[in-house]
Amino acid sequence: MKDDRNEHLNILAPRSMRPKFDYLHREVQDLAGMRVNRRAALGIGGLALLAAACGGSTNAGGGGGGAASQPADALKGKPLEDQLVIYNWSEYDDPSTYKKFEELPAESAAGLKTHETYYSSNDELLAKLHAGGTGYDIVVPSQNAVGELIQEGGLMKLDFNLIPNIKNLDPKFRKASFDPTGEFHVIKDFGITMFFYQNTVVKPSTEPKTMKDFYNLLNANVSKGRTNVLDGAEEVVPLAAMALGYSANTDDQAELDDTQKFLLSIRKGVTTISSFGYINDASAGKIILSQGWNGDVRRILKARKKEGDITAVLPTEKSEVWADSWCVPATAPHPVAAHAWINWLLEPTTAVTEMEYHSYPIPIPAALDQMPAETKNDPIFNVPSTYTDNYEYILNPNPQLVNARTKIYQQFKAA
Amino acid sequence: MAAVATAVKPRKSGRSFAPKYPKWLTLPSLLYYSIFFLGPMAILAVFSVSIQSGFGSVEYTFSTSQFAQVNDSLYITVFERTLLMAATGSLLTIAVGYPLAYWMARYLSTYKMLALLVIIVPFWTSFLIRTYALKIILDSHGYLAQDLGINILYTKYAVGIGLVYNYLPLFILPVFASLERMDWTLIEAATDLGAKPFTAFKDITLRLTMPGVVTGGLLVFIPMCGEYIIPNILGGGKFEFVGNIIGDTFGDAQNWPFGSALSISLMAALSVFVVIYIMFATREEQFGA
Repeated sequence: MKDDRNEHLNILAPRSMRPKFDYLHREVQDLAGMRVNRRAALGIGGLALLAAACGGSTNAGGGGGGAASQPADALKGKPLEDQLVIYNWSEYDDPSTYKKFEELPAESAAGLKTHETYYSSNDELLAKLHAGGTGYDIVVPSQNAVGELIQEGGLMKLDFNLIPNIKNLDPKFRKASFDPTGEFHVIKDFGITMFFYQNTVVKPSTEPKTMKDFYNLLNANVSKGRTNVLDGAEEVVPLAAMALGYSANTDDQAELDDTQKFLLSIRKGVTTISSFGYINDASAGKIILSQGWNGDVRRILKARKKEGDITAVLPTEKSEVWADSWCVPATAPHPVAAHAWINWLLEPTTAVTEMEYHSYPIPIPAALDQMPAETKNDPIFNVPSTYTDNYEYILNPNPQLVNARTKIYQQFKAA
Repeated sequence: MAAVATAVKPRKSGRSFAPKYPKWLTLPSLLYYSIFFLGPMAILAVFSVSIQSGFGSVEYTFSTSQFAQVNDSLYITVFERTLLMAATGSLLTIAVGYPLAYWMARYLSTYKMLALLVIIVPFWTSFLIRTYALKIILDSHGYLAQDLGINILYTKYAVGIGLVYNYLPLFILPVFASLERMDWTLIEAATDLGAKPFTAFKDITLRLTMPGVVTGGLLVFIPMCGEYIIPNILGGGKFEFVGNIIGDTFGDAQNWPFGSALSISLMAALSVFVVIYIMFATREEQFGA
C-alpha cells in the first residue's frame, strides 16, 4: 500500500495562522478516519458502504456458508501459505508487527507476505462481506459485528491447535456474550464508554458517578457550552437503556419506549451528536460535557494536563464495554497463515508493541505487566474489573431490534 | 441544462434542413449513462420493493411495504425540513448571487473574467475542507461569536449559511451566462421611452434572464435537498436532512430496502420540481426568449 498520508502542503500565510491550520488539518484527518479516532465511522465509510451495496447486489445475502459444521482440526497438517490478506481498521497495528511476522522462521521459509486493506466502520466491513467480498484471511470486527457474522455462518471456527499462544490470554476473555463458545474470535483489544466534563464550567452539586448522572447534567449545562453524546444508533440507544437500568440489548417494547422517552427528555441538553472530532474539540477546551471512549478520554486528559480542567468519570453501574477481535472469514483463502498471525499477536512481546502503538489494553497479563507503571496502573487504560463487571457488550441480536434502535435514534436526532 | 430548452423540434414537412450528425457520437455517453446511472437506479428500485431478510440482506419480492413505512410522521417531518431548508437556501442564494452576477455582467469589462475566476477558485478546494473552514469561522470561540455575539454553530442557521456558501458559484455561473447575453441597448431604449430604471429591470432584464435564474435555482436546490455533509458538520449531527436519515438506514440499520425506498421517495419529491422547470423552460421557448 502506498502511504500518501504524509504528503506536505506548503501554505503561504502569517505565522499566527499556524494554529488554525493545524486545527483544520487535524479535523480533516479525523474525518478521513485517520488514526486520531479509530472508531470514527462516518462520511467516507458511508460512501464506501454505498459503493459496496451497489456493487454486490446480486450476491447480497450470500455470505452464509457451512462454516459451523466444519471439524475443529480441518487445517491439521496443511502447509503455511505464502500470502496473508488482512482487512482492518486503518493504522490499528504497529508497522513492525507485520515486518517481524514475515521474518519469523516458518513464515520467512514460506516466503509469506502480508497485504492489508482498510475500512472505517463495522457497517463497511459487513457490507463488503455481505456483498460477497471474499479473499480476506483476517478481519477485525467489533463485538456486534462478530455476533452478526457468527449468526450468518460467515466466520471460520478457529483451530486452537494452531494458536498455542492462546494460553497467554486472560481466560476471562476467551468466551463472550457475542461468541458464547469462544470458537470464532480472539480478542484484539477492548475499551469502555465513559464521560468527562470541564470542571471549571460544569459544577455538579453531587459528584456524578453513573451514566444516568451524565444524562441528568445535560439540560442544566447546555447553556454554558457545547455538550456532546456519542453518535450512532448502536451507541445512543443502548447507552441510554443501560442508564435506565435496562439491558443494553433489550428488545422489550416497553423498555424501548421508555428509553425513547428518556432520550427525548434530554435532547434539548445536547449540542452535538458526534463520535469524531470530539477529541480535538475537547482538547481545545471547546466541549464542556461529553461521553467518550476511554482511549480517547486519556488523550484528552493528556492534552488538557496543563489546564487540568477535565474530570473524567468511569461510570459505576452499567455502561458499554466493547471489543475488537481477530476473526477468520469462512471463505479465507489462506487460513493457516491467518492462524499463524493470530498466534503471533498473542505473543506477549508483540502485545506490548501493539499496546504502545494503539493504547488500548490487550488482556494478556504477561504483556500488561511489562507496560510502564503509569499506563498499567491508570484505571482509564486498564479499566478495573470492579467497573467492567457491570458493563455490557452492545450487540445486534436481530434485524428487528436494529431497525427499532435506528428509528429511536433518528427520532432523537430529528427532534 | 439550457440545451434542453433549445432542443430541435420535429418539423411537419418531409424535408429537414437540420444538420445530420452520426448517431454513434452519442454512444459513449449513452453507455456511461446506462451503466453508471441507470444501472444503480434500477438496483435501487428493485431494492425498494424488496424486503429485508437478516442483516443487510435482501429478499427479492414485490412489496410496497417499504413505502408504507416512509409515510411516518418522523420521515415526513424530515422531508419537510429538507425541502424547506433547501428552498430557503436556494432563495438566499438567488438573493446573494443575482445582484453579483448582474454587477459583473453589466459594469465590469476588463476585470470581468478575473471576477469570474475569483468566484470559481474556491470550487477548486475540497467541499469538505471549505465546510470545515466555515466551522472555524462560526466557532463559539471565533471572532463572530466572541466579538459580534453571533453564536450559531450547530444550529439550522449555520446549516443555512453552509448551504448558500457552498452552492453560490453553481448559481452565479448560469445566471452570469444569461446576463452576459443580455442586449443592454434594450434598457437604453426603455429608458429613452420613459421607463423608470426599476420598471426597465423588471420588464426586460428580469424577464430575459429568468430562464437562467430558474436553471441556477434548480441547480442549487436539488443538490441542497440531497445534502449530507453540511447538516452533519455544521448542524452537529442533530439537524437531519433526508440524506442523513438514508445514511443511517443503510449504515446503522443495514436496512437496504427501506433506505432505497427513502431514496426513491426523495427523488419522486424532487421530480415534481424538475417537471415544473421543464414546463417553465418550454413555455419560455414558445415565447422565443
